[in-house]
Amino acid sequence: MMDPVYLDNAATTPLDRRVLESMLPHLGGARGNPSSLHSFGNDAREAIDGARASVAALIGASPEEIVFTSGGTESDALAVLGMARSAPLEKRHVVVSRVEHAAVREDAGHLKEEGFEVSWIGVDADGVVDLDEFTAALRPDTALAAAIWANNEVGTVEPVRELAEACAESEVPFHSDAVQAAGRVRIDVSETPVSTIALSGHKLYGPQGVGALYVRGGVSPEPTVFGGGQEKGLRSGTQNVAGIVGLGVAARLAREELDRRVAHERALRDRILAGIETIPDVQLNGHSERRLSNNVHLTVAGVEAESLVLFLDSLGYAVGSGSACSSGGHKASPVLLAMGRSDREAFSVVRITVGKDNTAEEVDGFLEAFSTAVARLRELSPLYAG
Amino acid sequence: MTDRYTPQVVDHLVRPRNAGEIPDPSGRGESGDAACGDIACFTVGISDNFLEEIRYKVYGCAACIAAGSALTELASGKHLIEAARISKVDIESALGGPLPAGKEHALTLVLDAMHKAFEDHWNRTAGEMLLEGGARPATGGKSVVAAMSGGVDSAVTALLLKEEGYEVVAVTFRLHDGERGSRSCCSPDTVLFARDTAHRMGLPHFTLNLKELFDRRVMQDFVGSYEAGRTPNPCVACNAHVKFHAAAFLADELGYHHVATGHYARVEEGPALARPVDESKDQTYVLWPVPRELLSRTIFPLGDYRKTEVRAIAEERGLAVAYTPESQDICFIPDGNYRGFVRKKVTAEPGDVVDREGQVLGRHAGVVDFTVGQRRGIGVSAPAPLYVTEVRPNSGQVVVGRKRDLEVREVAVKDLNWFLEPGEASSIQVRYNGGPVACTVEEGNEGELVAHLDEPVVGVAPGQSAVFYTEDGERVVGGGVVARRGS
Repeated sequence: MMDPVYLDNAATTPLDRRVLESMLPHLGGARGNPSSLHSFGNDAREAIDGARASVAALIGASPEEIVFTSGGTESDALAVLGMARSAPLEKRHVVVSRVEHAAVREDAGHLKEEGFEVSWIGVDADGVVDLDEFTAALRPDTALAAAIWANNEVGTVEPVRELAEACAESEVPFHSDAVQAAGRVRIDVSETPVSTIALSGHKLYGPQGVGALYVRGGVSPEPTVFGGGQEKGLRSGTQNVAGIVGLGVAARLAREELDRRVAHERALRDRILAGIETIPDVQLNGHSERRLSNNVHLTVAGVEAESLVLFLDSLGYAVGSGSACSSGGHKASPVLLAMGRSDREAFSVVRITVGKDNTAEEVDGFLEAFSTAVARLRELSPLYAG
Repeated sequence: MTDRYTPQVVDHLVRPRNAGEIPDPSGRGESGDAACGDIACFTVGISDNFLEEIRYKVYGCAACIAAGSALTELASGKHLIEAARISKVDIESALGGPLPAGKEHALTLVLDAMHKAFEDHWNRTAGEMLLEGGARPATGGKSVVAAMSGGVDSAVTALLLKEEGYEVVAVTFRLHDGERGSRSCCSPDTVLFARDTAHRMGLPHFTLNLKELFDRRVMQDFVGSYEAGRTPNPCVACNAHVKFHAAAFLADELGYHHVATGHYARVEEGPALARPVDESKDQTYVLWPVPRELLSRTIFPLGDYRKTEVRAIAEERGLAVAYTPESQDICFIPDGNYRGFVRKKVTAEPGDVVDREGQVLGRHAGVVDFTVGQRRGIGVSAPAPLYVTEVRPNSGQVVVGRKRDLEVREVAVKDLNWFLEPGEASSIQVRYNGGPVACTVEEGNEGELVAHLDEPVVGVAPGQSAVFYTEDGERVVGGGVVARRGS
């Protein structure tokens, strides 16, 4: 049987061989703590600083504006919780889009419990945040606003620059989760006046368990972890040196290879979109143009997400589901509901995300498997009269 | 418990057995709804009680698809009784072990859909017969269809019969739409609970849909009685026309001899209906209308036990039902608000509250709000408490009086059902919780029986049951409905 084909790069990417090699020296034998004064410590610190510069370069930032964390979720928490809590006491309002990653969404929910008022900003049917509604929601007492750079489910790229400019005009700190966007969309903090950006290693062909937060000079979120004062006091705890080194190399490669990767992904993505046109009652979710180069998100009428994912898995293709079924029944994705989809439509989705290492042959094989799986599950479905 | 599906689940997902729909099925069942997300649909082809063909469709997660497929494989070709015995554990075994945490509902979903297909089959088979509450004579041997409501009494009933060596089939009746959670596969449901209980005892379980019959014979009668100024007894109406007939229907279809319920009563030779060991739970008063030919094939295992013993048995055998609360109210009015229920079904006309002499004492909002013996809600102030002594629906009058005005020494009884010779009647009971009063009986007009009571009783209302007992007070001679009463 052939090796399984991985088409779930929005969930995590394969570790690039070059990244792995850069990490290996830090995973075996003698090593230093970056906070130590001796030569071991100096070596570790220099490795981290090199990575810091590479990550900064990916988004046009200065190295001192990069804080290393354990990943995207922690970066989001440091930004959203940290900036809201560090705001003057009279600012008890936050503005958040309805299409955030769960990390930001749950952070905002947590702030609500702390007494903040939350304005949830709607999107259109393609998942694009309503700029007017967003702008109108900004108030003198707004402590923070947040909008995802590119949505992790449906792949829509948001008008982040306009949103950030609106915030800058109102002097409201603005956070954007760029975990999916980084390496696919050019990000330049000198053009886009964001306060903070969350990044993750393992969506960039880097290691899992490491991420970064860009914190613009002058912005000082309240830490969520306290201790030895590492990362300028914003993230205490001995750094994950190997992981950070890996993230640094991954960020450098992402910057160097961005155009090539995007062109490759887009070709594969469009090959999938062309291929599924022959299958009836399949609908693309998310914006057709303002869209991540690697993302295909589909509603497949009459087919439940989990069964489709597992059927494809059995045929050797790994894709993502947008819905989780549990004892209480399905939980529809808040993102799809915000886009005006029904519960039933939100239960019938699948996310295919290609990566730099996928090939046209793999995509063709996938299309065949997808066509088979959909047809078989529809035969079984009481909700599909084909 | 693991979070990964077994290879068997994946196999059933990719190669579902018996997928599809039978074009002209013996029965069709669907479970699940939009809120849950998952939907299962089963069609069955049944011949001579054998499941000759079974097909299914599912919209749902892999667990649902695989569970449905495995269930069809387990059930296909089986006798209905064996198919109805297949439990969630059986399906899990066929799937190579427990499903991942949170996926157990898949088992409930597909079992429920198959059972609804069986239910549909029975209803198609029964046709008008089940609707009319007809019954056929008994056949078979040491076998019994036991009614199972989901409560402790009926569960222990089935258990005791099984332990006595009977072939037991459990049946749960769908009687009305007021049942807890009856609209969703994901919420607690009395039918699902009863099925689980039966399956844990290793018993086959069936459901019968009696909603139309129950509505016609019990609920409409309940409302109509209030309109006509009579006091209804829905449990009596159900025993007279619904429960025993339906159980007997299923027994006949399966070639089973007996029927059983969790009533506290005993059946003696004759047949005669006798009081149970636990006098505090005596239900003979509501069982008088069970037809003789049905009583002769009925078993009441709990008649030999005290309620405390029944609970102890349930606890000892680990039945989850051991801790279910005692049901007190009328089953289709769980909140106990009878007036509210009746008011929703009929329009009430205001009328006069009068005394025995016809003098108007006040106004009321509708005769349906009153029954004989009622003290509350009369809305007329008086030096001594006033009671409703009569309801006159034709003139819209509610007659009130003193407590002594409620005293009755003569009761005319109609719609009689006899187990023993009417001459054996030597006492009469006119209320569920009232004891028997010595009486002599004589034949009245139009098939009625008139009972002369040795001492007065209060709170006798037309529509209530009057049940006659033997001289020792132990056995029911027969019973009927109070037509009129005199002082």
